[in-house]
Amino acid sequence: MNIIEITNLTKVYDKETIPVFALNGIDLTFKSGEFTAIVGPSGSGKTTLLNMLGGLDNPSSGKILVNNTDITQLTSSRLIDFRLRNIGFVFQSFNLIPVLTAKENVEFIMQLQGTEKKQREQRTLELLKSVGLEEKSNVRPNKLSGGQQQRVAVARALASRPRFILADEPTANLDSKSADNLLEIMEKMNREEDITFIFSTHDARVVAKARRVITLVDGKISEDVFKNQ
Amino acid sequence: MVVLIAFKNVWRNKVRSLVVITAIFLGLMGGIFTASIITGMVEQKIRTGINNETAHIQIHHPEFMRNLEPGYRIVHPDSIVKLISEIPAVQGVCARTRITGMAASPNSSAGVQILGVDPLREKMVSNLFETIPDSSGGFFTGSRKNQLVLGRKLADKLKVKLKSKVVLRFQNGDGNLSEAAFTVNGIFQTANNVFDETNLFVRKSDMDQLTGEAGSIHEIALLLRDIGTIPVVQRELRVRLPHLAVQNWTEIRPEMGMITSAVSIEVYIILGIILFALAFGIVNTMLMIVYERTRELGMLMAVGMSKSRIFRMIMLETIFLTTIGGVLGMVLSATLVSLFHRRGIDLSAFSDGLGAYGFDPKIYPFITMKLYLYLSVMILLTGILSAIGPARKALKLKPVEAIRVE
Repeated sequence: MNIIEITNLTKVYDKETIPVFALNGIDLTFKSGEFTAIVGPSGSGKTTLLNMLGGLDNPSSGKILVNNTDITQLTSSRLIDFRLRNIGFVFQSFNLIPVLTAKENVEFIMQLQGTEKKQREQRTLELLKSVGLEEKSNVRPNKLSGGQQQRVAVARALASRPRFILADEPTANLDSKSADNLLEIMEKMNREEDITFIFSTHDARVVAKARRVITLVDGKISEDVFKNQ
Repeated sequence: MVVLIAFKNVWRNKVRSLVVITAIFLGLMGGIFTASIITGMVEQKIRTGINNETAHIQIHHPEFMRNLEPGYRIVHPDSIVKLISEIPAVQGVCARTRITGMAASPNSSAGVQILGVDPLREKMVSNLFETIPDSSGGFFTGSRKNQLVLGRKLADKLKVKLKSKVVLRFQNGDGNLSEAAFTVNGIFQTANNVFDETNLFVRKSDMDQLTGEAGSIHEIALLLRDIGTIPVVQRELRVRLPHLAVQNWTEIRPEMGMITSAVSIEVYIILGIILFALAFGIVNTMLMIVYERTRELGMLMAVGMSKSRIFRMIMLETIFLTTIGGVLGMVLSATLVSLFHRRGIDLSAFSDGLGAYGFDPKIYPFITMKLYLYLSVMILLTGILSAIGPARKALKLKPVEAIRVE
């Protein structure tokens, strides 16, 4: 089942002067449970594509249907709510809330969704356990290593039970051991809980684990490979 | 959680938050203390003015206050005094004669207001007798006739002391001049130099012998148990004594009433300026906070925090910052005001200058609950208004750009 359908997606910067096509007529579909890496050289449009998928940026033309909702047509406030209920984000630089503990960072998203306290606490505990950080639940981000912070970020991304998770260079700021550990956790979640992950990455380890690899060059898809099929 | 984040955010940059909080509480403390000194000075001036000079309400012949002609008298005052005494709100009432005349000693002379009083009744209305130091005699002691009590300033001007003779000369209601020698029995000293220099007191019975008009007076003064009942009592007396002028202290001494209003405005202006300056400090701090946290705000929007929640978070952070500073400032200023209210601030070095304007050289700072309530609301309002600009700035951020900011 397709959870994302992209049709003729184009993003043009500096339309008035010298137009630069960050994305140039992309057509793509993503199925539930995919573990996909979007790769390509710098400036190929990976991050732009991820931003469009996450409803963080508007395309110049084209459609993005997420579960039959064209997110390019949503107002900014409806997009915020849409993101809250449908999309999980993992950023390159972790982006946790520094004044909150690991537990509070995870719980925060569910609170925004209006989840009841008991359910919130239970799910937070489960998620921190699944990323191996239940003992660090009351620790603030500045007392956690980069790898631990990114694992909290993964737990936070999963907290809202999103349809898919967008991870922009999630291993870029991690040492290789932490990166391997993080990838194992995400792969396990994908395999066991059928959670859809879409990565934008330069990291060969991510590409090696991905079951689908989309290569972008100059804003166009140059290759779309399903490795396990 | 928004409330929790906002509160925790206040302590993220402790030094900066403490600087803002300190600025708020020092500003407020300075403002409140200054206001309390001004209010204390004025409150004292009014209290002593009422207690020593005007009382709460005075009754005269309608023409008397215009030109102080001795002919404008109130006849049969006893029945009026009895009527007033029966009003429950009235604490004391006295009848006086008031004549403009000349006081002369062997060395000097001065124009004065001569007040003929019944000492016992006068003490029920005026505290003037309490301003006579032990070494300066009393307020009509003994039964000797033609005693006189005058102010320190006038005594100095006439170069007289206790038991000195002073000749009083004035025009009677029938136009003839009367004069008699009086002995100084007491010398009072109020905070009002002008009053002390222009007023002297004699027994009304002695004055009556000189004027030959024992059955009439010029002035009835009354002191109420509660200053708040002035309008009610004044209205009642105006109805019951329609042929007489019934005036309250602000009508008798309009400058005293004006000082009260002017000082209230002055206090509000001082505090307004302080709050205005604080608002700029808060705006600056909150703008810095928004710029510093651009990436975090972008992330919050990206993960689904609505604009209204982000707005609320920044507003709450400002309100916490302002409230902490405000509460500290108000508590410390209340302590400071209360401490100095008990001890007083001695400005005797400037007593001549202050006395010329009727101010006591010992000031007891004082602040009203109304002003505290006004300040609480104003501080909160300042915080809220100051935060609107920075919070709006945060809402204009685009998550896609904000999360890229280093």
